Amino acid sequence: MRTSTPALIAVDSVSSVALTSAARAALASIDRRKRSGISHWDASGLFEELGVADENAGRPSARTLLILYAADLAFRVRWEIAPALTAGRSVVAAPYVDTAIAFGRAAGLSGGWLKNLFGFAPPPSDRRFVEPARRQAAKTGDGFVEFGRDRATGTLSQLTGVEIVDRTAAYLRAAAKRRGGRMLKI
Amino acid sequence: MHEPPDEPMQRSRVDLRRIRQRAREHFTDPSARRGLLVAFEGPDGSGKTTQRKLFKTWLTAEGYDVVTTKWNSSDLIKPIIKSRKAVHSLSPEEFSLLHSADFRHRVEQIILPALWQRRIVIADRFLFTGLARDVARGLDLDWVLKLYEPLVWPDLVFYFSISPATSGRRITATRTPLFYEAGQDVTDVLDPVESYQRFITRVIREYESLALIFKFITVDAERSIGEQHHHIRQLFREGERRPWSEWNVDAVAEWLRVTGSEV
Repeated sequence: MRTSTPALIAVDSVSSVALTSAARAALASIDRRKRSGISHWDASGLFEELGVADENAGRPSARTLLILYAADLAFRVRWEIAPALTAGRSVVAAPYVDTAIAFGRAAGLSGGWLKNLFGFAPPPSDRRFVEPARRQAAKTGDGFVEFGRDRATGTLSQLTGVEIVDRTAAYLRAAAKRRGGRMLKI
Repeated sequence: MHEPPDEPMQRSRVDLRRIRQRAREHFTDPSARRGLLVAFEGPDGSGKTTQRKLFKTWLTAEGYDVVTTKWNSSDLIKPIIKSRKAVHSLSPEEFSLLHSADFRHRVEQIILPALWQRRIVIADRFLFTGLARDVARGLDLDWVLKLYEPLVWPDLVFYFSISPATSGRRITATRTPLFYEAGQDVTDVLDPVESYQRFITRVIREYESLALIFKFITVDAERSIGEQHHHIRQLFREGERRPWSEWNVDAVAEWLRVTGSEV
């Protein structure tokens, strides 16, 4: 991507491994002098803290996890994304809003609630959706969807962990079709 | 986002209707006393914690099974908020979202389970605290209110009304207000006492709007402790037979569904 205006490139996927590869490729496509970096999930570290919480504290629901995702994203927007754009540099956000919305829809939450939740996030100038190979999607990763799959107490849709990942991927494919984002296969 | 068509999601919608009906029947069963949710709201220094304790003691003596839940108290989220408050690193959005997550976790882990068991839940601050403080920080009321959906409406909300001057006097009599308590993240005032006075004035203005919109029961918190307590007892007796609010059906059904408690 050779552009003179700063861009926010959103990269979304169910697989953290696929996200990392696609985000690096997206960053490499930007002129070195005009790029900032990659804004990753859990830059704020709050999920890391959540991951070591006592089991007696109770498992979070998918809804609670998504509110926390939004809190982390607000942190990323404030400290990584907005400053880069203000400085005239392009930035890659991997994952961004669509991964979280797809996870929430797969978990049975309403689209209206999810849209409001992420209403503060600036719209990306370019969207890329990454479809991982099935084997890769099933791998244990350390991204948000994997975290949600393993840690959420239960979902409204009452799907298993594997089904949640498949449903999230289906919602992401639908989003790519609707929004006209690029669908990459890794 | 388009919804990929599939059978499991359609089945889940049918199940949800059944669960909603079950929730309705549980809370409107005329043969058993239902759970009640009573919220104590008001600015810092309004004496609501004192009243909450007196109220709990009285209810227990009257034979009620009582559970208390406080604002920002979940074992899961509270440590995350505490560490970020300590380094003054929260923006208004992050502050709002983290408190909303803490609230949701307590709704699912403490409040709804206790109400389902027909207990009385006393909430020392409820979602209105989040609304008043977040809007005072400049956030949009509609955005914040939707964060708390599906909404759980208390059966009674006691609002302890005091002036900004009284709140400031009572708080600063014993200690210096903390950074976020004083709203120093949004007032840009270095002196915590002066910042508190400005911020609490905004918070009280928001509380007073919410009191009108959501029909709080206002308690004059400038009256004596004993007078307030007896007034609360009387108001509780008048209010405890209110019918269950149908507004709560979505929140209860979601909780039943997520925890698998409907089986």
